[in-house]
Amino acid sequence: MSAQHSNRKPRIPLHHRGKRPRFFEASGTDELMSMVLELTAELWVVKKRLYLLERVAGQAGVPLTPQIEGYELDDAEVAELDERRSLLIATVLRSLEVDPVERGRMREEMESLGSPAGPAGRVA
Amino acid sequence: MLKDLSHDLRITPTRDERTRQEFVASLRRHVLSDMASSMRSTFEREVQPGFERAHGRPPRDGEEVHDAMQDERYFRFYSAIRYNAQEMVFRSVIPVVDRNLDELATRVRERPGDAVLDPGLRVPNNVANIDVHLSPGSYHSEYLPDDVAPGAIYDNSIHVFAFNQMGRDIDDIGHTFANFVRLAWPGFRPRAILDAGCTVGHNTLPWAKTFPDAEVTGIDVSAGLVRYAAARARSFGLPVRFMQMDATRLAFPDESFDVVFSSMFLHELPLKDIRAFFREAYRVLKPGGLLLNMELPPNNRMQPYDRFYLDWDSYYNKEPWYKPFRDQDYPQLCAAAGFAPERFVEAVLPRYTYTPEEQFRACIDRGARFGSRTGRLGEEIEWYGFGAWK
Ligand SMILES: C[S@@+](CC[C@H](N)C(=O)[O-])C[C@H]1O[C@@H](n2cnc3c(N)ncnc32)[C@H](O)[C@@H]1O
Repeated sequence: MSAQHSNRKPRIPLHHRGKRPRFFEASGTDELMSMVLELTAELWVVKKRLYLLERVAGQAGVPLTPQIEGYELDDAEVAELDERRSLLIATVLRSLEVDPVERGRMREEMESLGSPAGPAGRVA
Repeated sequence: MLKDLSHDLRITPTRDERTRQEFVASLRRHVLSDMASSMRSTFEREVQPGFERAHGRPPRDGEEVHDAMQDERYFRFYSAIRYNAQEMVFRSVIPVVDRNLDELATRVRERPGDAVLDPGLRVPNNVANIDVHLSPGSYHSEYLPDDVAPGAIYDNSIHVFAFNQMGRDIDDIGHTFANFVRLAWPGFRPRAILDAGCTVGHNTLPWAKTFPDAEVTGIDVSAGLVRYAAARARSFGLPVRFMQMDATRLAFPDESFDVVFSSMFLHELPLKDIRAFFREAYRVLKPGGLLLNMELPPNNRMQPYDRFYLDWDSYYNKEPWYKPFRDQDYPQLCAAAGFAPERFVEAVLPRYTYTPEEQFRACIDRGARFGSRTGRLGEEIEWYGFGAWK
């Protein structure tokens, strides 16, 4: 893992020149697709590493896999995990919970809060 | 499972980097096999009948299919995933190459292979001006003196790209066509063979293996590829010369070669350069010599859906000359360069590496038969090739 975190500056660009095609009409959907796929790649990297962790520990005399399967969670741990799982679900789906509003209304809201949206009307 | 490259220029990814490469390879297999067949069914079940109701006839060509598919949800997801997977191929190997860049250049400097460079050569626009098939830096960008980055990026990324379908050393195309020549014309003993647009020589080396008495030369416009290709060949112990040269302006005397071969090359050239290359091929071939190009099959021999399917790259994968090439009449291209029309040859072949020789021979005998597997990367791909005898 450490090799990926070296401080040396990369020299070869990771991204190609030119525009990316848009496949979906709804704005942002194409970017979302990239995010989902990158996320899935990362998830697979982590899953495989966990798998290897169990194998390596087993060979080192720490039988993680059966211990994990047989582990009895106590009530506090169950509650903690429930909470973390709900948080994960809420995080992944968070975009569905925000009311999309037009820029005009956002601006009004900001102004009402005493924060002018600026000359270009930019709302970050 | 992806394996390490099998020669001395191999570089080793970390475990996580390799896992990511394997993910990308699986994602590509999924899009190009599973999603591709679902997309075809969507077309047959829904899109085609709809088109027929609206027009009173089935779609005539690939573009009509493309227009009809444009609004299909499945097509959009297929395209978006395939496009991202292509970007991710390069993203999964570039950090590994980057980290090993200086060390690779040293390795090549120490064991250089037979490389002839031409520092005065102008890299043509089709390579210099676009990042061909989304490859950052295209085929020619260098980042340090004597750099081999283009070779290392190509070699490592195509292993991810090919998801184990193109031979252990990405050399199945070369083996397929060299053995095609050996089996189809047993009396023909080529002594000098040229591979134009050879990149890192994946499909050049099989010619040296199949015809050990022949002198084999690979040319490419990119110095970073030529250095890498030569060192790679040396590591395999094969005496093949690699030269930096433009295929539209060959530096060889007339009548120097028995075979001029190319693979996956023409579709990356503007039409005028294909024509120029064919004229040059005709010039440098000996009388009785063979021009042979492994390529995508021509649109005029394919069903409309298959035309649409193969032309995807032209629209979305930064391969702007792909469709214009596939729209050509291939016999006509050869004839325009001076080859006699009756000396045109073409073949649709199963992959030599994965096919018993008897079956391979039978496919040669039955002649070129075009189908939906022709030229379409997947488990059952058949390679297409065409050319002409001088
Ligand atoms: C898709 S690659 C060919 C792959 C290779 N033949 C193989 O089978 O592995 C296309 C190659 O053509 C080279 N190329 C492009 N234009 C060229 C030209 N005018 N003369 C020679 N090579 C050229 C590029 O640098 C690139 O390496």
